[in-house]
Amino acid sequence: MVLVLIAFPLSIDVSQYDLNKFYFSIIVVSLLMISFLATESIFSEDYEDGSLEQIYLEEKDFYKVVLAKISIYVFFIGIPMSLIGSLFSFANGVAFDEVPKIFIILTFSTLILFNIFSFGSALSINKGAMLGVLVSLPLALPVIVLLGRAIRTVQYGEGFIEVLSLLAGVGLILAAVMPIIISATLKTHLE
Amino acid sequence: MQLITASNLGYSINENRLFHNLTFSLETGCGLHIKGGNGSGKSTLIRILMGLTSPSKGEVVFSKPSLNISYLGHKNAIKQYLTPLQNLELIFSPSDLGDAMTWMQAFGLTKVQDEMTATLSFGQQKKLALIRVLGKPSDLIILDEPFVGLDDLSRDLVSQFLCSRLVDGTSLVLTSHIDPSIPCVELILSDQTDD
Repeated sequence: MVLVLIAFPLSIDVSQYDLNKFYFSIIVVSLLMISFLATESIFSEDYEDGSLEQIYLEEKDFYKVVLAKISIYVFFIGIPMSLIGSLFSFANGVAFDEVPKIFIILTFSTLILFNIFSFGSALSINKGAMLGVLVSLPLALPVIVLLGRAIRTVQYGEGFIEVLSLLAGVGLILAAVMPIIISATLKTHLE
Repeated sequence: MQLITASNLGYSINENRLFHNLTFSLETGCGLHIKGGNGSGKSTLIRILMGLTSPSKGEVVFSKPSLNISYLGHKNAIKQYLTPLQNLELIFSPSDLGDAMTWMQAFGLTKVQDEMTATLSFGQQKKLALIRVLGKPSDLIILDEPFVGLDDLSRDLVSQFLCSRLVDGTSLVLTSHIDPSIPCVELILSDQTDD
């Protein structure tokens, strides 16, 4: 993410004013890429070395293990990336007191995207990453649209709470439901 | 007491029948040695017994609903980027680690316990994987080709341990091309062409 956020403005010749207008799109696309790349092998390593099988046999509630795994990824990758993204937005003209809003928006977005791409990764274990992308992208694109809308509410100062509530609601629902779906998907692979 | 009862088990993949009409039972404290040629369905039968795979027909009934099963299949389920000691710390609780360390010593792995697992030989990694099963108490031990890669001394150690567990009331199911030297009932799966 840092590479994209630094390299992109250097590679194009625009004024600071123009960069302010579309810099958030760079953050959003970076977040999308990070979510996909970070979760690409979330389950594949454990599947290939047989650990996933052992965990499935030992744990009565397999979905709790899946939930814990995704939560760790969100906590150790998603939240730091959200922090970096919000700091970069400050570096590009966003007022300092708006930075926490950007951070919250990005955090909920990573929660949603990590769950979606984890589902894609679970589906595509042993079948190549392209299947995961094809399944996840249609689910992720509406999130990107919503994220863009949320950032505009910060820029223009209207409707932030409403859009944030929507993001938070979707994020929490996915965080609760997706591990169950993913654990069922992984079970079919273990069969 | 009958621990496992399998009735009319059958399994097919893409209209190829691996086995059919298998009926057998396993008593508490008894061993079952599943034998057969390559591709006869030994590993599949084991996966059906563990509930990982559903049979095409028939059923498996366990007398105890929450059976404590220790299993080791073809994959070792150990992390290559951790040391053997770290792998055991991942698998065992602090209170059970002592038993695991005893097995580490018996297998001669203590001298490599702080090296990366990826640098160990195939046999050493197999021994490390076996500790997961040997170091934990369980009602049923299921092993798929456990002796592959083991030296004679380690193989004898494992066989003796499994015999002692049978005496203690643990049941055992294993597949092995190598004679396990363990008192077991044999179940022979024929090739699919031998109908």
